[in-house]
Amino acid sequence: MTSETATIAPARKGFRIDFHVWGPVIALLALIALGAFLNPNFLSYGNVTNVLARSAFIGIIAVGMTFVITSGGLDLSVGSMAAFIAGVMIMVMNALVPSMGVGWGVIFVGMAAALVVGVAAGLVNGLLITQARIEAFIVTLGTMGIFRSLITWLADGGTLSLDFAVREVYRPVYYGGILGVAWPIIVFALVAIIGEVIMRKTPFGRHCAAIGSNEQVARYSAVHVERVRLAAYVLLGVLVGIATIMYVPRLGSASSSTGVLWELEAIAAVIIGGTVLKGGFGRVWGTVVGVLILSLIGNILNLANLVSPYLNGAIQGVIIILAVVLQRQKKTER
Amino acid sequence: MSDSPAILEARDVSRSFGPVEVLHGVEIALRAGEVHALIGENGAGKSTVMKILSGYLEPTTGELLLDGKPVRFSSSEEAEDKGVILIHQEFNLAEQLTVEENIFLGRELKRGIFLDKKRMQTEASRLLSALETRVSPNARVSDISVSDKQMVEIAKALSRNARVLIMDEPTAVLTNREAEVLFRQIERLKASGTAILYTSHKLDEVARIADRVTVFRDGARVAAVKAGEMNEDQMAQAMVGRELSNLFPAKSPMADRKTVLAVRDFDVENIVADASFDLRRGEILGFAGLVGAGRTELMEGLIGVRAARGAVEIDGKKVAISNVKDARRLGLVYLTEDRKGRGLVLTQGMRENLTLLALDRFGRYALDAKAEDAALTKAISEFDVRAPTRDVRVGNLSGGNQQKLLLAKTMLAEPDIVIIDEPTRGIDIGTKQQIYEFIHKLAASGKSVIVISSEMAEIIGLSHRVVVMRSGRITGILQGDDINEDQIVRYAMGLEGRAAA
Amino acid sequence: MKLTALAGALALGVAFATPLYAQDAETAVIGVSIPAATHGWAGGMNFHAQATIAALEERYENLDFVLSTASDPGQQVSDIEDMMATRNIDALVVLPFESEPLTGPVARVKEAGKWVTVVDRGLSQENIEDLYVAGDNPGFGRVAGEFFKQQLPDGGNVLVLRGIPTTIDNERVEAFEAAIEGSGIEIVGMEHGNWNRDDAFEVTQDLLSRNSDVAAIWASDDDMAVGAIEAINQAGREGEMWVLGGAGMKEMIERVRDGDEMVPANVTYPPAMIGTAIELTALNFVGNAPVSGEFIIGSVLITQDNAEQYYYPDSPF
Repeated sequence: MTSETATIAPARKGFRIDFHVWGPVIALLALIALGAFLNPNFLSYGNVTNVLARSAFIGIIAVGMTFVITSGGLDLSVGSMAAFIAGVMIMVMNALVPSMGVGWGVIFVGMAAALVVGVAAGLVNGLLITQARIEAFIVTLGTMGIFRSLITWLADGGTLSLDFAVREVYRPVYYGGILGVAWPIIVFALVAIIGEVIMRKTPFGRHCAAIGSNEQVARYSAVHVERVRLAAYVLLGVLVGIATIMYVPRLGSASSSTGVLWELEAIAAVIIGGTVLKGGFGRVWGTVVGVLILSLIGNILNLANLVSPYLNGAIQGVIIILAVVLQRQKKTER
Repeated sequence: MSDSPAILEARDVSRSFGPVEVLHGVEIALRAGEVHALIGENGAGKSTVMKILSGYLEPTTGELLLDGKPVRFSSSEEAEDKGVILIHQEFNLAEQLTVEENIFLGRELKRGIFLDKKRMQTEASRLLSALETRVSPNARVSDISVSDKQMVEIAKALSRNARVLIMDEPTAVLTNREAEVLFRQIERLKASGTAILYTSHKLDEVARIADRVTVFRDGARVAAVKAGEMNEDQMAQAMVGRELSNLFPAKSPMADRKTVLAVRDFDVENIVADASFDLRRGEILGFAGLVGAGRTELMEGLIGVRAARGAVEIDGKKVAISNVKDARRLGLVYLTEDRKGRGLVLTQGMRENLTLLALDRFGRYALDAKAEDAALTKAISEFDVRAPTRDVRVGNLSGGNQQKLLLAKTMLAEPDIVIIDEPTRGIDIGTKQQIYEFIHKLAASGKSVIVISSEMAEIIGLSHRVVVMRSGRITGILQGDDINEDQIVRYAMGLEGRAAA
Repeated sequence: MKLTALAGALALGVAFATPLYAQDAETAVIGVSIPAATHGWAGGMNFHAQATIAALEERYENLDFVLSTASDPGQQVSDIEDMMATRNIDALVVLPFESEPLTGPVARVKEAGKWVTVVDRGLSQENIEDLYVAGDNPGFGRVAGEFFKQQLPDGGNVLVLRGIPTTIDNERVEAFEAAIEGSGIEIVGMEHGNWNRDDAFEVTQDLLSRNSDVAAIWASDDDMAVGAIEAINQAGREGEMWVLGGAGMKEMIERVRDGDEMVPANVTYPPAMIGTAIELTALNFVGNAPVSGEFIIGSVLITQDNAEQYYYPDSPF
């Protein structure tokens, strides 16, 4: 650094594995190897489809969460929001059946309703955080309770079920697919790819990281800090809407127990993937890996009687912490 | 004086980071009752040797002697326990705690198991008043000014009864008056037998207070003399390794008298009132005043990060600026004095930092990584940014290189009017000269520049005209022969021009 | 059904007596503390609690009710303390979230001389309550087990979905296991579906991946049965197995009534027991014969033959 003649070389490529980058991938590969070893059905088409498709809801939400966390925010309301959107969507579709009849028309209106409610919910969170300047944790803790109560109220404490005939039409959105790949997997992959591109290649992604690292610097660098943060929450709301559109055809119902703890799973997936909880650095592909790790743990524990089911939560906890520890090691060396 | 034994001594100390050796077998001895100045350009190894002396880093080879016996500090805490204390250039204060809590952090006074709040309050007040600082022990550190923070750091060190006090550019953020207070404290500490190691880029200061001077260049010791054996010019030459002819380029005559920026009756929050001034094409307009006179706030009001009222015209057209983006669109940019807090994202790389302000130039929907890389290459050569690798985190660059990167970042926005706040704070003399040259060229090419500086020499050496502020008001606008230290101080202290607007 | 009828009869009898009594009696306050509607069965229970309270308040002027729903045991303890401190209740009807943490607080209510009715989940100390109204959890498991034995006389592989790990769940599963003992029925997979549709769906998917030969699934709850059925459909194994849920959700009763092969039966565990408990408690303040003791509401097997009489189209559950 000091030499007058120093030239600036590109970073040296070491032979050592950079755990910060590869840690989550290694954990994922280890889990896959373990699963394949324990049960021959693990790698079967059916099981792989099951795991990927069920990852889709949390995964789609977690992609949005990556942006919110990268920009230094947090959203605890997504699980309740998903339940609420599912409830509204079902009620809208049921209400339209008498006038519109059963068919894709009703379903498209329902989908549109899900997206509209998602945008609105994201706007509520985002505006309270950016305009009223309340801590994200508090705002979304509040809306978490609000959305959860609203769905309980809408369902009268019970379950809202989608009209049977509509459901039969809508069902393929979860269970169908093209070329053997289920729709939820396709949508999840698209969302993840687009998310990765947005994070890496667009001004919006760059601005999120800048705000998360140092809001002042961003403000002095002509970044519309409030607008970008608001956009991150709205994006998350839209993605929760998309996740719900994929979720409703699965069981055709929504109740107060829908989406419980999804917010924590989504946040955990984001952090396992290497995004920094305090903000400033995010990577969408890491989040995808994180989501898959979380789903695989549950799947493997169900496929093999390794431990008492009472301990499933403990195993998950250990693996989550390990995956993060693996990444942090490198940092302390720096 | 040379008879007094060294309290702390480094012998043939080297330090490597990975394969790169940055410190090559240096020697330095700190003696009781002596002020030892360590000078050198940014990156010469001053910080490294200070960190080694105070236990933050271990030497790769060589040894430390404390009271003549070899010693190994395994941590800075251990060094502090033995009376060796480093005051960082970047403050190590907990922003959310009060001044008193910070002073006693980690060694709180207790009565039984409870904190002895009263005694700590009294002691903190005593320390602060000895430093002639008016800051209250109960003030939150996040609310006090940068210079007060420096005083708190010093109070904290004093409360720890340091035998060896190492100060990394303590006066960089202090006004002259505050620096005088500090020097008196240093005299007092010296008299009580404390050994002091002191770094500064202000060579006049060094010449005044140091008993002994060590000069580093490129990680090696190039000179070690007693005070008086070297004058300021010789020190500068030893640091840079070449002759420094004239620090300031000759002022170019202003080609054009056209006003590009006119500000009238400008108020910013409750800090600045009724500010009016003009800026002409190709002009360097200096803003002088004491720290806290409202110069920074005025500029922040202009670029829309603070609430402001008043009339602003650019090229004769009335404009409304409500955020940095508006300002940029009108060709007006501001280089903050707070490099680390507001200027650069320290955890990110040079590329991300460079293009952040002008990101729209690299694609509205998708960023062009190649163009960004090209811009970085250009900025590195144009502004002579020296970094170990291209993807180094900006936080790991030296202050001078950070400032050059910040300049490059700002210029990428292709501004017509550039406001530079404290362009050379904490920067070595070689880099300073480069930055002055750069500002000069900028103006010569027809841009207009506002320079805010607390360094009198800088203001006088660069500016075509000088605006002086005091307590949020403009007290005078000087030009020609009126631009001299005496006049500026008179206006800044309020002895002249109360009615001026 | 019998019990509802019984309660109705009692209430009717009391209704005649009311006018006399109400005039000189002070208003009695009855506190009702139940878990929030976090799953289908609890939703039904909330519905019945509210419906019963509305009906009783209309019928008796001198009865006041305080209803609170709690989402965890700690909150429920606070609710009960608040009722004592600020509403001066005369009686408490409580469906404890969990037995242990609620025992002390409910005992204190009793010590203060109030009437205590405990519903569904017993306290961990005996003889605190004046009245105990509960479903029969071991019976619930036993009835299910016997149905399995009857349907699979030659034995077979079955999967079991369990609820949230609690005493209730343990009692049910133990009784189920005891009932199928020696029948040749083998439990090849057992996981917690937490009385939740989504969890049950995913657990069933995995259990089906693991086991290629499954004759039946005991989902032990209708919400979980919904998830299990969906997973079976997705795997394309509809013809292979049937599912037994429990608790009498109306959609499930409908399928039993309509002769759905996949849902041949159901086992009752009526959420309406809370209404019965509230009505019986109310009798103490409007009638002159206190009703105390223990009321165990047995679990009954619902098949196509008797499904119609268990079908309540208005209930949310």
